[in-house]
Amino acid sequence: MMLLPTNLRNRVLLFSLLAFAAGTTVLAAEKNPQSVQVTIGTILVSNQNDDFDPKLKSMEKQLRVLKYRSYRLLKNDTQNVPWQGNKVFEIPGGRSLTVAPQEFQNNRIALKVRLTEREKPLLDTTVTVPNKGNFLYVGGPPHEGGNLVLSISAAAQ
Amino acid sequence: MNSCETDRDSIGSWLDGELSPSQSEAVQSHVATCGACAETRRQLEKIDRTLKTSLDAEAVRVDFLPFWREVQSRINRKRSPIEQLVDWGRDILTAPRVTWAIPAVIIVLIGILSLDAYLPGWKFGAARNSFAAVDSIDAHGSSVALLRENETKTTVIWLYQDEEGENDAAADESAKSGPTF
Repeated sequence: MMLLPTNLRNRVLLFSLLAFAAGTTVLAAEKNPQSVQVTIGTILVSNQNDDFDPKLKSMEKQLRVLKYRSYRLLKNDTQNVPWQGNKVFEIPGGRSLTVAPQEFQNNRIALKVRLTEREKPLLDTTVTVPNKGNFLYVGGPPHEGGNLVLSISAAAQ
Repeated sequence: MNSCETDRDSIGSWLDGELSPSQSEAVQSHVATCGACAETRRQLEKIDRTLKTSLDAEAVRVDFLPFWREVQSRINRKRSPIEQLVDWGRDILTAPRVTWAIPAVIIVLIGILSLDAYLPGWKFGAARNSFAAVDSIDAHGSSVALLRENETKTTVIWLYQDEEGENDAAADESAKSGPTF
């Protein structure tokens, strides 16, 4: 039987150890992300006309659940939010959305979300969204003859 | 051939036929002209003859049959299951393919464990809950509805206008025309 030379076998074992170390490092990094990339999309929905903004194509199926005729993306804002920190996203109509990441577990991100309108709180909620996965929508605030829908997505960094 | 010491060292090898043709020719021509080396050659040949004579004489008296019988019996002897298992394990663990398989298996395992980071929602082939979950809601007096749609995995928190009429009429109209869950 052909056997590997000792030095070659040692190299293979060393490579194995390095691969194992690199892998565990990658997995450890995945478990302890430094920040969360939060994207807030502000969408104006109304029944005034039949119009669907092409920029919303990727989430069309989900938005159509809301049964409006018109969907228009007003703003898309992405910010990196550190763990245990928070960031304020300005929403049209004098509103703001404060997002604070809480926990990262099982590839899901828990977020504390607060919607305020001129200092007055409208909504306080804690939600868990899949990492880089489906969005959560917060909707209802009236705006320009329609309603605002805020899409919230998060990706661990 | 300038060094006689070198030739004397080479004489033994020459007599045993271990030198190349050119080296043999050089040693042979030197021995033919050097008295000391010729004497060394004679002594070595004498020792060789003596050894061969003695060994031949003794070898005749040695009975090789039991030796070969023992070798044959060892070849034919059936090995115990434990010996077979030990040999099988040694073959497996020292096979070159297995040596290469160790890092390959590690890399594949790391890939499987890391896959979830690159393909969200995938977990060892089993379906995972990819819905956004609402853990708590406080609408500060306003009404909220929670929509969870299975087909598109959509989760929506919908805020309704409060009942005290703080918002303007247009807003009320739009809220009325909004979806009901």
